[in-house]
Amino acid sequence: MIEIKNVKKSFGKLEVLKGITNEIKNGEKVVIIGPSGSGKSTLLRCMNLLELPTSGEIWLDGKRITDISSEFYPELLALKGKEYKSLYKNLNAQNSLDINSARQKMGMVFQHFNLFNNLSVLNNLILAPVKLKLQSEEQAVENAEKLLKRIGLYDKRDEYPSKLSGGQKQRIAIVRSLAMNPEVMLFDEPTSALDPEMVGEVLELMKELAVGGMTMAVVTHEMGFAKEVGTRVLFMDEGQIIEENSPKEFFENPKNPRLKEFLSKIL
Amino acid sequence: MLKSLANSIYKSFILNNNYLSYLTGLKNTLIISLFAVILGVIIGCLVAIIRYNAQVKKKSNPLSVICDIYVMIVRGTPVTLQLLIMYFVIFGFMKQQQILIGTLTFGLNSGAYVSEIIRGGIFSIDKGQMEAGYSMGFKSRQCMRYIIMPQVLKNTLPTICNEFIALIKETSVIGYIGLMDLTFAGKVIQSAYADAFFPLFVVAGIYLSIVYILSTLFKKLERRLSRSDRN
Repeated sequence: MIEIKNVKKSFGKLEVLKGITNEIKNGEKVVIIGPSGSGKSTLLRCMNLLELPTSGEIWLDGKRITDISSEFYPELLALKGKEYKSLYKNLNAQNSLDINSARQKMGMVFQHFNLFNNLSVLNNLILAPVKLKLQSEEQAVENAEKLLKRIGLYDKRDEYPSKLSGGQKQRIAIVRSLAMNPEVMLFDEPTSALDPEMVGEVLELMKELAVGGMTMAVVTHEMGFAKEVGTRVLFMDEGQIIEENSPKEFFENPKNPRLKEFLSKIL
Repeated sequence: MLKSLANSIYKSFILNNNYLSYLTGLKNTLIISLFAVILGVIIGCLVAIIRYNAQVKKKSNPLSVICDIYVMIVRGTPVTLQLLIMYFVIFGFMKQQQILIGTLTFGLNSGAYVSEIIRGGIFSIDKGQMEAGYSMGFKSRQCMRYIIMPQVLKNTLPTICNEFIALIKETSVIGYIGLMDLTFAGKVIQSAYADAFFPLFVVAGIYLSIVYILSTLFKKLERRLSRSDRN
């Protein structure tokens, strides 16, 4: 579903991602863990191009959503000047999907919720589907109400985000993404900004989604969630994926010394 | 004493239908202020967004450079001077159109200040709001329109109101190009009948009432828009 091809990302001189290649397949729940500063959030944000990779490509459903990366096109490297430009343009137009359509298929949940502060809960849910003309307003409202009932927050439909608890905000942020009927959901440390007692309700909703078959990529520090829900766990350090495995193997039988050290500190 | 007071009032308002001068003046002040405010807000929003985008991308483009220069010039010169230049130099060929030229001058003038208010307002909105918009598939223009600008306008409302008030009072210099506005009307009657008290105080009272009404309206609007941040 999402293919990551040798993605590198630098902020100025700091290289945060040093060439990541991976694929998230349909139905997978990939959990990305690692120490802070290891690049896991950046990787996730590169998937829906909130950060543009410095080089490398991202593909969604067999369509490229970044510009082409010349390293994959040997025929391009031989050319110079005008010819290079014209072939580049040509290749770039092939098999590509524009960024906004791609993002519509990828829901994203943020650490700090990022609900639209000026809109009521219901309007938060229907804004994108209606304004992007994916659903009529009646459809969107009906769908939104269904989603709110499902998470037990139907009575909050006319409240504004400032009146909600952190856990409620995050659950609403999740269903706001769901209202777009995404194919894959990206979670960027969804429980890190929550009070401990509210972490559970958010994880519960995420589990529900996972059981429902949603493809997910989750950056988190919740090891319990990784073990229970993940189908594959990636460990990142210093901008590289240094170990990936099924949760069982990953936690019971870690191979990389850096991962062993990391796990011994947190478990 | 009472008689001279009555006489003064008579001269200031009733003699030769003098009250009509105030009404004409009021009408002109209101027309210029209203259209200048509208023009100012439109220009202000556009300039703010152009300059914000250039600033975020850390790359200026011809349009943003023009906007930078515009803001610098407008804020760097007195509005009276801008009015004179517009009237005598730039639009020297259409000296009958004082209202139009006045509106344009004050609109352009106000636009520069409004743009700075709004630009500051955009920066005060958490980056996550924009990212959430992007992540759902909005283009940057749509994010601005549906998510950022409504919050910016709400947050900057008191400052914008302040700017409107300043603008209304600033229009009083339009007398420099010979248009009968409220201040000019007072001034004319004062000098024609050698009586300063009533003409000037009445004019002051009218400005005060306009500003009072405007600020009351804005307070109401503010209260309505702040529904979302009650805790």
